[in-house]
Amino acid sequence: MKLWRRFSVLCFFLGAVAVLPSVVAAEIASPVAMKEVPKDLVLKGDAVCTRCHDEADGPDLLAIGKTRHGTLADSRTPSCTSCHGTSKDHLGYKGSDKPPKPDVTFGAKTKVAAEIRNAACQDCHKKDSNRSHWEGSVHQSNDVACSSCHKVHVAKDKVRDKLTQTETCLTCHKEQRAQINKPSHHPIVEGKMACTDCHNPHGSVGPKLMKRATVVDTCYTCHMEKRGPFVHSHQPVNEDCSNCHNPHGTTAENLLKTRAPFLCHTCHTPHGPTQPSLTKGSVTGWWNGSDITQGRACLNCHTQIHGSNNPSGASPSAQRLFR
Amino acid sequence: MKTRRQHFGLSHKLLFLAVLAAFGPVHAEDDEVAQLIKPDSTVVSAGLGVASGNSADRAIFGQYNGWRKNEVGILLDFELIRRDDASGLWTNFSGSNLGFDNRELTFSQQKQGDWGYSAGYSELVRHEPRSVITGVLGSGTTNPVVNPAAGLSESNLELKRKGLTVGLEKWLTPNLMVEASFKTEKKDGARLSGIGVTCSNVIAGYPCSATTGALLLLPEPINSTTQQFEAKINLSGDNYLLSGGYYGSFFSNSNSSMKPVINAPTWNAGLVGYLQQTVALPPDNQAHQFYLSGNYAFNSWIRANFHVAHTKATQDQDFASMGLVAAAGLPPNFGAEVNSTVAQLGLSVRPMPKLSLTGNWRYEDVKDDTPLALYNGAFTNTPNSSEKATGKADLSYVLPVGFRATLGVDYAYMKRQRPVATTSITSLTSLREWTEELGYRVELRRSMSDTINTSVSWTTAIREGEHWMSLIPGANLYKEVRYVDINDPIGVFPFTMMDRKRDKIRVLADWMATDDLSLQFIVDSGKDSYAAPTTKGLHDSGMQSYGIDAALTLSEAWKLTAYINHGKQTLHVDHNVGYIAALDNVTLSVGLGVIGKLAKNIEVGGDLMYIDDSSRYQLGSGNAELPGVLPDVVYRATTLKLFGKYALDKSADVRVDLVHQRVKFDEWTWGNNGTPFLYSDNTMVAMQPKQSVTYLGARYVYRFK
Repeated sequence: MKLWRRFSVLCFFLGAVAVLPSVVAAEIASPVAMKEVPKDLVLKGDAVCTRCHDEADGPDLLAIGKTRHGTLADSRTPSCTSCHGTSKDHLGYKGSDKPPKPDVTFGAKTKVAAEIRNAACQDCHKKDSNRSHWEGSVHQSNDVACSSCHKVHVAKDKVRDKLTQTETCLTCHKEQRAQINKPSHHPIVEGKMACTDCHNPHGSVGPKLMKRATVVDTCYTCHMEKRGPFVHSHQPVNEDCSNCHNPHGTTAENLLKTRAPFLCHTCHTPHGPTQPSLTKGSVTGWWNGSDITQGRACLNCHTQIHGSNNPSGASPSAQRLFR
Repeated sequence: MKTRRQHFGLSHKLLFLAVLAAFGPVHAEDDEVAQLIKPDSTVVSAGLGVASGNSADRAIFGQYNGWRKNEVGILLDFELIRRDDASGLWTNFSGSNLGFDNRELTFSQQKQGDWGYSAGYSELVRHEPRSVITGVLGSGTTNPVVNPAAGLSESNLELKRKGLTVGLEKWLTPNLMVEASFKTEKKDGARLSGIGVTCSNVIAGYPCSATTGALLLLPEPINSTTQQFEAKINLSGDNYLLSGGYYGSFFSNSNSSMKPVINAPTWNAGLVGYLQQTVALPPDNQAHQFYLSGNYAFNSWIRANFHVAHTKATQDQDFASMGLVAAAGLPPNFGAEVNSTVAQLGLSVRPMPKLSLTGNWRYEDVKDDTPLALYNGAFTNTPNSSEKATGKADLSYVLPVGFRATLGVDYAYMKRQRPVATTSITSLTSLREWTEELGYRVELRRSMSDTINTSVSWTTAIREGEHWMSLIPGANLYKEVRYVDINDPIGVFPFTMMDRKRDKIRVLADWMATDDLSLQFIVDSGKDSYAAPTTKGLHDSGMQSYGIDAALTLSEAWKLTAYINHGKQTLHVDHNVGYIAALDNVTLSVGLGVIGKLAKNIEVGGDLMYIDDSSRYQLGSGNAELPGVLPDVVYRATTLKLFGKYALDKSADVRVDLVHQRVKFDEWTWGNNGTPFLYSDNTMVAMQPKQSVTYLGARYVYRFK
């Protein structure tokens, strides 16, 4: 009996050893018992995030799939953690209250430094030659983050659409908001031009984030007729268009900062007793009246104010930009 | 990003799956997700718009949007977006404003990370808001005929641009990319311009009495083409980027000159002879630029960027081909050549997380290699070489409690080529060869906070330069004008060269008052004071601006925005005959916006904007102000924009837009109080001072599946 009992125990033990792994294996393999392995929804390796932030929890977030970032065939495209960090505390949180935030967040209330937020973007976009001068640019040094202007979880980033771009830029540049609505303006409010037609907000070699290396070179891209060089030139024109023009808008003709003759008088005060007036001056004292104030004012006679290529020495010389 | 508790009850996903299981097919989840992540869409928007009033009522409103001439217009836009998920090939095709003269079409394909190309066509017409009422025949052509006795007729000038752009890009390796772009734009039309003279002793060649003169409005005829081509190659690595390329820009003008014909038998013959002289229009010109640009990270805390470019710009159109006549012995063309070099170096150092140093140096050398020739008797063209250097250095340190302090230094140096012995300096008393400006900035910023971000900055700069010198014609010498012996108290000194003291202060605050309310405050103030060895010319200019912006989220469905800004710019200029002009420009702008949903399928929104801009031109004798010599120029505009969008189903919407704009523009440029400024042939330019327009547009928007 004792022997039988020992034999039975041994058989049970051996049997258990022999059967248990297969039972366990079967249990593991059983569809009923298997825990669901989350699948990626949008980006490569996003399951770790989208198991919670899915189409029910955050449908807006998934719109990143509609963007260039969501183009999976491009091996360079990121996953959630590429930008938001590995976020171990957030992912591994076991508590019952609100979990800690991911490592890198981009919202208005984020406490993550702009430099760290920007690094998430620059990891990839540093290869773009248009961003080669981001470091040290006025936006960078003022802690403007990429996410201050760009939205990546939307099908269309409105700052990249010239119809809506100004909404973003004018959030900070208030003075220009009024100027572009003055009667003399570039077609910005009409959606035919955007700030980025002249400025590179990602940093540039030129002043005021001009797209090209100088103000005049930027303006020449559309107004090349002003480039000359002319036989008779006008030095402030060659140096900087903004000496006389405010490109964002004015109430004076041709985006002039103020009306002639006053604008011209900041450098020139010729013609003796010139007195701007709306009264017609006498023929001999023509300069003392409306002829130098109204119409094109000084430009009524000095018509080629950007320069004249007229070689004629006939009097009066074209040197004074008459013709 | 929204987060949610993970450890209680049923997850939203389980609920979602349960609902789907109960009410929908199993693949509904995939459809739902696909709809959220697939970019493919084809949207066509078609409709009709109407605008009230006549062309004069829409002069400012319709300057660029195509509504100046049209009372009824077809609204037609489309957009097609496709992405082949297997290959990553994007195809975009879109058209906008197709029913108007500012239409645009673009097509592009891009295999992301491999290659791409794009093509675009665009039109844009600027309709001159003012009408020209003239008897000139052929106004806006190269051969206008002026006849003071002719009857007047009204016309509106236009400038039409047609552009074509092509772009290509190819990644040769993961680190090597080539890009090329080409843009050509044709400009056609006319713009306000004119000629004029009052006979005096300067008109030596004509028997022109000092008692005659004439001003004529002769619009500049425009028929030109600009072309720009750029090709560059970009090489990048883990810690560097190099970009080198060529940029060529070319201007070609079909209208090289304008030759007016004056049919005015009663006018002085000498005067007519002068007015019939040929007017030179912009000559053909071109520029070729080669550049190398890039950046380098020495390590994680030291980075540099640089740019070097050389440009050769030339202008050598033969005078004869332009219809211009040069005196005997002069070259057949100007033979202009300007060689420019730009070099820039930037350095950014962050030795510790709290400390950053940035520096930037930029040098620009413009060398005018154009030969000198005697275009005006004893005088030649003016040589225009210059050198410019600018630099800045910033030191920024993060202080306790989230504050950051920045100290900055700015430097600018400008050197202009001295006039030569044969240079004619007209209308200027004096020049100086170089100026130098040194400025300092201090800024305190709270850069990180849950609810408030603020910054205060102060900038001061002083520009000085070499002694002022006046030219003694023919002697190649300067006569020095020293401050200590002001020998020309009514002289004319260019403001770009004058001594200047600049002070600016700016205060910014962003305040997230609550989760739903954010406020932004801004105050700007600045003043430039100018000085030269004269009591005349530009004295000072200033600006003050302050404003508040607010954004309020009323609910998930409704949001409000509002702003108010007030700005003032001042300019004080003193004239050599004893009057002073105090010019003030004051702008008040107010805006209110709302967007929301009336129902699940009805979205509405609106913006109201008011701008009141007032320019004062006060003239005085000495310090005594003489108001009323010139009336204020006042521009007031109120614009109301409303829209409503009704979703008929998942594929179709109806959208209605309503815009109402009222404008009042009182100014004296082309007339005052109903009295027009008359040119010598009775030509006048006019614009309706009060304009009111209402636009109503309705569209059907369909999204193809």
